[in-house]
Amino acid sequence: MSDITTRAERPLARPLEAAPAAPTALFRRLRGRKSAIVGVVGLTAVLFVAVFASYVAPADPLRQDLSSILVPPFWADGGSFEYPLGTDALGRDVVSRLAYGARNSLLIAVCAMLIGSILGLVTGLAAGFLGGRLDAILMRLGDVQLAFPFILLAIIILGVLPDRSAAHLILVLGIPGWIIYARVVRSRALAEREKDYVVAAKSIGAGSFRRMTKYVLPSVWQVVPVIAMLDLGFLIILESTLSFLGFGLTPPTPSWGSVLADGRNNMVVSPWLPILPGLAILVTVLSINLTADGLADLFDPRLRKGTFRRIALRLPVPDEPPAPEAAPLLRVQDLRVEFPSNGRTTMAVRGVSFELDHGETLGIVGESGSGKSVTALSIVQLLDSPGRVTAGQIRFGGQDLVRISDRRMAALRGGRIAMIFQNPASSLNPVFSIGFQMREAIRRHGRKADGSVQAAASQSLRAVGIGDPDRVLRQYPFQLSGGMNQRVMIAMAMTAHPDLLIADEPTTALDVTTQAQILERLRDLTRAEGTSLIFITHDIALVAEYTDRVAVMYAGQVCETGPTRSVIAQPHHPYTKALLESVPRPDLPAGIRLEAIPGELPDPARTPPGCPFAPRCPSVMDVCRSVNPDAFAVAPDHRAACHLWSPERTEAVAR
Amino acid sequence: MNAPLLEVRDLHRHFSARTGRLSGRSRTVPAVNGVSFTIGEGETLGLVGESGCGKSTLARTLLFLEPPTAGEVLFGGEVLTPERAASLRRRAQIVFQDPYTSLPPRMRIGRILAEPLLIHRIGDRAEVPDRVAGLMRDVGLSPDNARSLPDELSGGQRQRVGIARALAVQPALIVADEAVSSLDVSVQAQILNLLKDLQARHRLAYLFISHDLGVVKNMSHRIAVMYLGKVVEIAAADDLYTRPLHPYTRALLSAVPFLARRGAGRIRLEGEPPDPARPPAGCTFHPRCPLAQPVCQEETPELKEWLPGRVAACHFALSKSPSEPTAFVEGR
Repeated sequence: MSDITTRAERPLARPLEAAPAAPTALFRRLRGRKSAIVGVVGLTAVLFVAVFASYVAPADPLRQDLSSILVPPFWADGGSFEYPLGTDALGRDVVSRLAYGARNSLLIAVCAMLIGSILGLVTGLAAGFLGGRLDAILMRLGDVQLAFPFILLAIIILGVLPDRSAAHLILVLGIPGWIIYARVVRSRALAEREKDYVVAAKSIGAGSFRRMTKYVLPSVWQVVPVIAMLDLGFLIILESTLSFLGFGLTPPTPSWGSVLADGRNNMVVSPWLPILPGLAILVTVLSINLTADGLADLFDPRLRKGTFRRIALRLPVPDEPPAPEAAPLLRVQDLRVEFPSNGRTTMAVRGVSFELDHGETLGIVGESGSGKSVTALSIVQLLDSPGRVTAGQIRFGGQDLVRISDRRMAALRGGRIAMIFQNPASSLNPVFSIGFQMREAIRRHGRKADGSVQAAASQSLRAVGIGDPDRVLRQYPFQLSGGMNQRVMIAMAMTAHPDLLIADEPTTALDVTTQAQILERLRDLTRAEGTSLIFITHDIALVAEYTDRVAVMYAGQVCETGPTRSVIAQPHHPYTKALLESVPRPDLPAGIRLEAIPGELPDPARTPPGCPFAPRCPSVMDVCRSVNPDAFAVAPDHRAACHLWSPERTEAVAR
Repeated sequence: MNAPLLEVRDLHRHFSARTGRLSGRSRTVPAVNGVSFTIGEGETLGLVGESGCGKSTLARTLLFLEPPTAGEVLFGGEVLTPERAASLRRRAQIVFQDPYTSLPPRMRIGRILAEPLLIHRIGDRAEVPDRVAGLMRDVGLSPDNARSLPDELSGGQRQRVGIARALAVQPALIVADEAVSSLDVSVQAQILNLLKDLQARHRLAYLFISHDLGVVKNMSHRIAVMYLGKVVEIAAADDLYTRPLHPYTRALLSAVPFLARRGAGRIRLEGEPPDPARPPAGCTFHPRCPLAQPVCQEETPELKEWLPGRVAACHFALSKSPSEPTAFVEGR
């Protein structure tokens, strides 16, 4: 259950995650899951029979017809439609007993479930939110109860009762169920109460009770229906078990368990008698569990997450002359990446082209949703499913990475191409020591003898500025700070002596002093090794300081590219200009008003025609709203995708 | 002289962390370890420091969202106690960093903003929708968004909601805890300008907490630098950047990536900040300090005025470090 409590890290731009509010939305979401539909249909049928038992049942379930006992069902020899499923040893109609049995079994299970879930929700919420002694007492109570064999207790209590009504069974089965709910609700409430929105509620003066009921409760109750469905299946079986053992409803009141028990006595003569109630229980519990699966999906859509998968594409290969001698290390041409989902397609990357020379450092800078990380991930072919490259080429060392086989791509990855990510701790394996992981990396690429492997590991850690590499090699990722882990990642990536290193926001999670240390090491290391570096960041100041060339991205396109000095000193695209002016720079006087870019970042799922920056652009012209501009040369090796710099316009202005 | 709006005197907030896995032994972690400062009406005090220095804990402690271990918080000259903290809820508010976790996920925007009005019975019940619409306009949101759920808004819009919620009780002080750190640059500039407009319109004071030195300078009148639970330097914003006194401030400033400089003259701080549970003796910065002398390991420097209006907690605040970089030169 712990996976329900831990929430996945939220990406910055998140698709709308609709709350299961209206029942229509509920059914729309369920429609995608066939098994859940089967469950709901089965459950509805059983409920229908239970509710309308008096109409469904052809006879009174208690009426005995001793003249026709143990009549077989209609399909067997001697069966008839008077008793469609035959009769039992006392000549009672089996259809009627099953229908009324469904009513009793379900009534007991549903009521017991309701009692348990409400009790569990209230106690779990109180224990988790209020904590302290109340929490300790409730949870110890739960531990004691769980340590005690529950069915034994139920039998003892029910055994001493002279007459067992439905209410008795409901209480005996329902009350002990609280702990299942309480534990999960408690752990959710415990996590939820620390969240900023609950602290904010305290800050605006909301008291404990208000925070608990209005803020925490709406975020935690969703776990209850899912557990309740599973609990319901369990309770139906439990009720049947008790009835079967003779501790259920006082005879002759029917329930599935008692019908089963009656049937068992005549199993040899009439094998269908125990089979039919057994089938009823099976179908019901199965339907409930399928429904519960669907509900879990509905209330926790994160469980349905895609995995890394490379979708091999059969793209037409454009005619391309063989690469000349002076080819750049990497050439990305008109790359397009799409993420199809729910009928609409998000164009994450829309025609990106750039080149990277040997030993060069290229910065890709952009805000969230600009497509900078997607571009990087498509180079290593690690796009998150369902993302796929739909057009373009990525030429690296004479091959097109979009079209080569998985096996060859895997050989390149971590070999000639290495990549490091924002969160190093999640890229390292938590159960192996740093030394083990370093040695693995070195062996995979270098094939050295054991002693030299250890020395090499130590040496590469020293190269990234780790003063006592031998101690770090013995440690595990969780024992190191984020900065140390990132150094280890860099060291590991460099063990393969890659031609290309891609660093995706490598220091965004780190402090500014650590960031400076790491980026300087990274720069020294890539320079010494002649490694080309693609440095992806949202921070244009880092680009200014650490890169040779820069590509500024906006809405999946490169809007300006050129030598870093030239782009920073003379930005030509209005977005680049605005970006530079909206950064609060420490070298400007305190308190000045920033030139903010008006409006919101574009929605990558909606791509109106024309220049994507047009709605926010201070220099927008009519043409910008209809025609997406090409990249025009504005200075040596410096291009801007803006109509202001189209040759026609610059000529007109010159004249 | 009038009492400042907020005065914090020697505030402490200690946590106990269990050290032994089975033994149950615990150790005190002084997350906030004796912090004092004042904020005047309508003033912005910036607070910078790296992660784990205690700046967020300080924010929550001085608002009594967490109980202080020791020390005093004075609001308008009046000492606050946990019992009297309720009055603080109408005079001081907080805006959080993460616009995705700071709003209740299943409450509509209109309701989120109505909550403080209902709790404090501000205005008539019938006026609440109008007041909510007024708050939304105040922060640049369309009142049509009142029916939206937080999920349906962008990060920038959500942060505006968080600011409107803080404004609802008409506070005199807003603590902004990394309030723009998770926003994109273009949106961040909008929010910074909004905060400045609101300050002018409502005569608000801010405690503006951030790890971003550019953002803090842009927003603040004065800036306090925190290291390992203590304030090590306080100065007027421009002064701090042109002549930082504490060696930690100098190192911090020299680490800022900078559009106009390419890696020239940087103080390389080696090592990482120490474990707050085991702060070094004497000056807690001495193991990483380029100026450290034997005295720094023994005597804890107090905040002391070295130049007119310039306080720093360093024994050698006026010495130059061996690899002094050129100071920040203003202007492009």
